Amino acid sequence: MTTVATFSIAFTRILAPSGELVAPLPAFAADPAELVALFRAMVLTRTFDAKAVALQRTGRLGTYASSLGQEAVAVGIGAAMRPADVLVPSFREHGAQLMRGVSAKELLLFWGGDERGNDFAGPREDFPVCVPVGSNAPHAVGVALAFRLRKEKRAVVCVVGDGATSKGDVAEALNMAGVWKVPAVFVVNNNGWAISVPLERQTAAVTLAQKAVAAGIPGEQVDGNDVIAVRSVLERVLARARDGGGPSLVEAVTYRLSDHTTADDARRYRDDAEVSRHWAEEPLVRLRTYLTQRGIWTKQDEETLLQECGRAVEEAASAYLATPPREPAAFFDHTFAALPADLAEQRAGMTAERRGEP
Amino acid sequence: MNEFRLPDLGEGLQEAEIVAWHVTAGDHVVTDQPLVAVETEKAVVEIPSPRSGRIAELLARPGERVQVGAPLLVFETEGTSRETGTVVGELAPAEPAPAAPRGTAPQTTPAAGPAPGRAPVRAAPAVRARAKALGVDLTRVTPSGTDGTVTLADVEAASGGLAKVGEGERETTGEALRSARRTMALNMARAGREVVPATLMDDADIEGWRPDEDVTVRLIRAILAGCEAEPALNARFDGASLAVHPNPRLDLGIAVDDPEGLFVPVLRDVGGDDAAGWRRRIDALKAAVRDRSLSPADLRGATFTLSNFGTIAGRHATLVVVPPQVAILGAGRTVDRPVRSGGGIVLRRMLPLSLTFDHRAITGGEAARFLRAVIADLERMG
Repeated sequence: MTTVATFSIAFTRILAPSGELVAPLPAFAADPAELVALFRAMVLTRTFDAKAVALQRTGRLGTYASSLGQEAVAVGIGAAMRPADVLVPSFREHGAQLMRGVSAKELLLFWGGDERGNDFAGPREDFPVCVPVGSNAPHAVGVALAFRLRKEKRAVVCVVGDGATSKGDVAEALNMAGVWKVPAVFVVNNNGWAISVPLERQTAAVTLAQKAVAAGIPGEQVDGNDVIAVRSVLERVLARARDGGGPSLVEAVTYRLSDHTTADDARRYRDDAEVSRHWAEEPLVRLRTYLTQRGIWTKQDEETLLQECGRAVEEAASAYLATPPREPAAFFDHTFAALPADLAEQRAGMTAERRGEP
Repeated sequence: MNEFRLPDLGEGLQEAEIVAWHVTAGDHVVTDQPLVAVETEKAVVEIPSPRSGRIAELLARPGERVQVGAPLLVFETEGTSRETGTVVGELAPAEPAPAAPRGTAPQTTPAAGPAPGRAPVRAAPAVRARAKALGVDLTRVTPSGTDGTVTLADVEAASGGLAKVGEGERETTGEALRSARRTMALNMARAGREVVPATLMDDADIEGWRPDEDVTVRLIRAILAGCEAEPALNARFDGASLAVHPNPRLDLGIAVDDPEGLFVPVLRDVGGDDAAGWRRRIDALKAAVRDRSLSPADLRGATFTLSNFGTIAGRHATLVVVPPQVAILGAGRTVDRPVRSGGGIVLRRMLPLSLTFDHRAITGGEAARFLRAVIADLERMG
């Protein structure tokens, strides 16, 4: 018997939970401003999450998925991407969307049930939030194939969760990405829980990165609570994709400190002790510890930042709440180029009903 | 007054139970400060304050269940202490339409039609579809849902006899009776749309009956015998899933003619009673039809129907099977008919029988065997 293939999975961590460096800093980190920008984006994301949950709890937002504890994944992605790249998110990448120029008001509009929130003024070609698990992966392959066919030096970042890796869409997308060698980077945001299903009941695989092996593409793990490592790894695989090197899969190992969404109560299936343990590894504290120890960050800076983020989010919330809802008939408007007769009749009926006509 | 109402904290939840208040009346709170923990069907959730201000009154006690849209607390109306800039948006949702308390049956037929300029009906597409199918005018249904939405239950209650067995409130009785013709129209229209009817006709020789024989009681006994011989005819047919569900007992609908329309009160568990009991209960049901004390529950859930139209006129008939029932037996006016007897011809008293069955659920053979058993029982002496 001979061995025809073997695989190994690399794991990258630069900043330990204690705030100590355990590997050499990447080049970008030589500039303290770059690290502060990452910290700032994570604080903004956490502030936004808290406000969104409060809005939902007071009846002013729909179901919302917080990214508490996972900010480094989205922010690392957002920092590594170039404006010309395209983000194909799932539903927990608020941090990346904010960094790419989606406004907090737009995000709130979407989560408040207003599709105008997906009509981004900033990144026009980024995809909207995708709630159906794993269904965004084939879309990402299509976008990446378009870049390849057009010979554009652009890449796609597709984010899926750990649960999505059990879905056919994701397996098919990885497979075809490998076959067509498209410039796509799949980030598996492995937060340990697919709603109430823990990872050990999701898969027998030791890592989710090894899902890449069957697709014939590179796969690796990164500490998803280490924003420096996430950005660093993503920059490398994105450069490779843009340069024609093909797709990759990056498993970002993190932890969902929040409920799955506001419609969930994780205390019903998850030990408090487990959650407490993971609070010690969350991404904001370790970067702040590092910055403070290096004299880059002070208590005053922190207070100023919290105020700025709070104000920005409150302004976005006010703008969101002040936005009049669309006329219900608007939902007929973006499905057909020319509205079929039966739908036109329904639209007219709805408009008449809104005017109080029989 | 500035009320804060319980929002829908999940996805389509109806209510929540107060677990614990973190504040009391008189407290000053700031935006997003936790106010109260509530438990929904899905989760225990903390509700933060939507604004800054002083709390005037808490409107629900721990352990109390609060409907979505019902007020939780009242903020003091204030001038100077209000922190402008942190209060965002409108807090109080639109005043919900006066909704009937949950658990009470909605009124089925308002006395008057919709008032001019009345707000559009709020109803989900499924509810609208159901209303269309049942011929219910949504503008005439009293809504019981949140914010004045018409629910499926409202539509079914408004349609009368097709609804599920309700709580049996007496208040609804008069309405159900007044809408008897409407109910008949809806039931018959539905039967006409769904059922594939076929009818067998035959006669039972009742020459041997005593003059004072109770025809209705004999017919009931015969139907029971028919169901024992061929249980397929005492079944419920689900036209959507094409599934036949046998009924464990015979609940016999007995058609009663009335100036206001057709009533079919149900004689429950025929097999668990005897002839004397049937007669006593039939008399009670007929009296209830006459004095309008029949409850909607008395009219629902028949598993088979008997129409004894022959007490008025008519010999054979093609009848209407009302889904989900699968068959109905009709008894016509008795006649003397010439019958061959030995070498000659004699006149015998005959009871004409018509069995209409839903051919989607019942085979001709099953129907014929049922009818044969019915006839055999009717022709039995005593």
